[in-house]
Amino acid sequence: MPKGAGIIERSLVQDDHILEHENLVMDGIDVSGRWNTMLKSRVHADRDLDAWDTVRQNLVATSIDNCIQCGMCTAGCTVAHEVEGFNPRQFIYWVRTGRTEELKNQADVVWRCVGCYICTHHCPKEVNTAEVIETIGQWLRTVVPERMDRAFHVNHQVYRNHLISRGRLNLPLLQTTFLRALGRQNELFAPEMKKTALKMVGDGRVLKTLRMGRPHRWRKNRQVLGSEA
Amino acid sequence: MSHETAYFPGCSLKTIDRAYDVSTRLVAGDLGLNLVEVEDYACCGVGELKGEGLKSHYLPGRNLGHLLQQGQTEVMVSCNVCYHELSRTAYAWSRNESVGTEINRMLEAAGEPGITETPSVRNTLEYLVTVVGLDKIAQRVRRPLTGLRVAPYYGCLYHRPGAMVSSIQVAGEDPERPHFMHDVLRALGAAVVAHPAETTCCGGKNLLSDERTAGKLTGRILSQAKEAGADVLALMCPKCAGGLDALQPRAIKAAGEGARLPVVYYTQLVAVAFGHSPEAAYLKDMESGSFDVIRRLLQAAPKPALV
Repeated sequence: MPKGAGIIERSLVQDDHILEHENLVMDGIDVSGRWNTMLKSRVHADRDLDAWDTVRQNLVATSIDNCIQCGMCTAGCTVAHEVEGFNPRQFIYWVRTGRTEELKNQADVVWRCVGCYICTHHCPKEVNTAEVIETIGQWLRTVVPERMDRAFHVNHQVYRNHLISRGRLNLPLLQTTFLRALGRQNELFAPEMKKTALKMVGDGRVLKTLRMGRPHRWRKNRQVLGSEA
Repeated sequence: MSHETAYFPGCSLKTIDRAYDVSTRLVAGDLGLNLVEVEDYACCGVGELKGEGLKSHYLPGRNLGHLLQQGQTEVMVSCNVCYHELSRTAYAWSRNESVGTEINRMLEAAGEPGITETPSVRNTLEYLVTVVGLDKIAQRVRRPLTGLRVAPYYGCLYHRPGAMVSSIQVAGEDPERPHFMHDVLRALGAAVVAHPAETTCCGGKNLLSDERTAGKLTGRILSQAKEAGADVLALMCPKCAGGLDALQPRAIKAAGEGARLPVVYYTQLVAVAFGHSPEAAYLKDMESGSFDVIRRLLQAAPKPALV
């Protein structure tokens, strides 16, 4: 039997919170068998509110305070059904109750939100859940970057630099920069990529991309957009 | 009818996804819409700065400022990502005064025109249905797509979240089960194939950074549409096209041969039904074999009536 197999909602309980005893005697009564599984006490004394402070102060995520933990966001979530441990309701719960250790343990899961806005759309309390989750992901990036996949960091950096320095998306360049930074440049020669790339060179789309230029007076825009805070 | 409206193509439609831009323009021209491009456009922001709060409104705000500066208050957008981004900022600007002030302060610091009134951001699909009208679209059809089984695919950002993308709601579109693309395709004479993945996400945001999830999502959309009996999948977002069309081999790898399905922009189908050649609708730009499907359809059909 896998650990904690008898627990309903097993996915909500972390492995190291499950205590399974070979033989368990309580008050002189042998409770081995079905009743030998216990959960570690969930009394939570050291609340770390750093994440909450950061998230609720972000303009796009102030609505986190409206959350009533109903779980509508998670019921319809695209990623919750694909990535184990992806649970927006729980992420919000952890942030607001100061369980940042749990949150940090899932750092490599939180960023996998695809931004489809099903959660925001379904929220009965007008929480902008999609942007709250994005903000939590960005907070994790500042505190435990080492626990997140490099692809996430590189994607974020490449997009950000590209947007700020150019003001427009040169998509082939963006894709190439991303793959090279990850050491995945071989993918550029994968049949599906190569086919499209060669076709776009031939039919003038690459040339058009090279000529797209920057918006006017971009230097000043860049200063504002790229500034901190 | 000649009717003028501003039009925001965005980076991707201006370059690699020109098929969507060109077909939008062909269709608009045929229907008497005079499209005036938003001048000196910047990227819509593609949602990549959302974690940075106010900054995420900078790029869309700049575009809306330019729109208003050229004397227009309404803009038609084909790309779903641009549509969502511009709508989101217009919504934030109109709903929260302090946010609006902050957006304008940033724009002013960069010497850019600010937002002076709430612009009306319209999606091309919604615009075709509500402003032009399905009757007029049906009347303009020269080559009905009879016999073509099309699976409509909306993606996410056309209709979600309902409150932010307000033009959809004003138009009476259903944000739970959108049907405007169904309606347009029916007006073209195509057989609309309903399927369970019409509004599920393609995972385009993490197409390359979280390939496993993206592969599963794109694979499912394509195979469910195909299983429902579709000849082609019609979409309306260049980001979706990235995963469903150009990188379809990866979806096939994830979900099997059932995910092999030609993909087109719905505007290309409208253009073809209006009598334009598949070449003129840039169907050759699509990677998943839709050009051949449409060409075969046209070869089988009788010649179009003379205009």
